[in-house]
Amino acid sequence: MSLDYVKFTPGFGKFMPKEYRDMVEHGPFGKKTSVSQVGTFKEILEEHPMCAGCAMTLFIRLAIIAFPNPEDTITVGTAGCGRLAISQAAIPFVYGNYGDQNGVASGLTRGLRLRFGDKPKDVVVMAGDGGMADIGFAQTLHSWFRKEKFTTIMLDNEVYGNTGGQESGMTNKNQVLKMAPLGKKFEKMDMLGMAKVAGCAYVATVVPNNPRRVESVIKKAVLVAREIGPSYIQAYTSCNIEYAIPTDKVMEDAKTVETDRYKFSEYITDEAKEYLSQLYGYKEYLPKPAAAVTKQ
Amino acid sequence: MYLVANIDTEICAATSCKLCTQYCPEANTILYDNAAGEDKGFKYGAAYVAVDRCKGCAQCVWVCDNMAKHNAIKMEMIDQIGNTALTENVTYGEKTSSAVLANPVRGQM
Ligand SMILES: Cc1ncc(C[n+]2csc(CCOP(=O)(O)OP(=O)(O)O)c2C)c(N)n1
Ligand code: SF4
Ligand code: SF4
Ligand code: SF4
Repeated sequence: MSLDYVKFTPGFGKFMPKEYRDMVEHGPFGKKTSVSQVGTFKEILEEHPMCAGCAMTLFIRLAIIAFPNPEDTITVGTAGCGRLAISQAAIPFVYGNYGDQNGVASGLTRGLRLRFGDKPKDVVVMAGDGGMADIGFAQTLHSWFRKEKFTTIMLDNEVYGNTGGQESGMTNKNQVLKMAPLGKKFEKMDMLGMAKVAGCAYVATVVPNNPRRVESVIKKAVLVAREIGPSYIQAYTSCNIEYAIPTDKVMEDAKTVETDRYKFSEYITDEAKEYLSQLYGYKEYLPKPAAAVTKQ
Repeated sequence: MYLVANIDTEICAATSCKLCTQYCPEANTILYDNAAGEDKGFKYGAAYVAVDRCKGCAQCVWVCDNMAKHNAIKMEMIDQIGNTALTENVTYGEKTSSAVLANPVRGQM
């Protein structure tokens, strides 16, 4: 959990695989790298078995690039497609039982604070909509009500993708899926509303067809969770397999869905704004000067 | 055999908008060489694909055609592509990278 854990033991560097050497020498650890620089530094996400063209894969890739301090970050995941990639990054990954991820992250965050005190260690949960809004619903909500200081990211593909197409609470009403042949009978759950009611300090929706925006919301969510309170990002990450989207049309679908029903939204408490305004790059949150009073 | 993305260096180097790599779902796959096309007078460099990591989804083609409007990327059969970049031949530098091209099927000749 520091820059040291990615360095070579003296003398062993030359025996390491090329990808590992590239990561140590040209990776993002200890540097400021950004989405606009991709392709010129070695990313810490490695090869993985997620489907070709999957938007969730793209989102995970961007999220990992966006972590403000990757060398001091731990990810927590659970059963579902996303863990297949998240676990293949050079960041410690904890695999919670299906639905346990926010409970595991609560204990982990508290433990890290006891162990490392003020030195920030960021905990980021990334899990599917089924794992988060259905099976892990109670643990997700309770971690928010308890104001646990970590980031929760829902990889919302609006289906149980990994197990072949069952509906989740986040599936849209009337949607027909392989294993929901009559169509879903209920509305999509309002997890954003619940996150606000439960006291999250930063809540955002995002679609990966805007990589810089993904980067921006991830950074804010992680920073706010470090000091202020829980943060929640809900990302539309289509499943091209279960929704039969041709892989070269995945970004077109993302654009359409963003325009129709997954618009970018951001909610941030005053306390979180004040905290961000003191950090480099967040001048937008500085209090606005009071409007000049004109004399009559 | 299967399809992988191939970037036309000259078309790309004319603008090198750097959009496709932000949209490729796979990490470390579309890379940038700031010196590509220098010999032909282009000054921005160009993108290239480490084809051993490419899963053939063609998302980059959609991005280059429809968002960048440069039409620089085509999907090609891996055994027809000729010499191209492979991860093992990529070298990273200061805010750039470059690749010694090799045949993806037969290896470096
Ligand atoms: C306790 C438990 N129940 C069921 C499963 C089987 N299972 C694995 S992945 C999955 C569905 C994942 O769906 P979601 O959370 O929406 O993620 P996605 O795969 O769509 O990203 C299920 C039901 C499991 N691994 N553990
Ligand atoms: S099943 Fe769907 S969500 Fe899972 S990796 Fe494949 S395309 Fe992505
Ligand atoms: S989108 Fe097209 S023009 Fe832009 S960098 Fe990629 S290949 Fe080059
Ligand atoms: S075809 Fe898909 S995996 Fe291959 S370079 Fe293009 S976007 Fe990346």
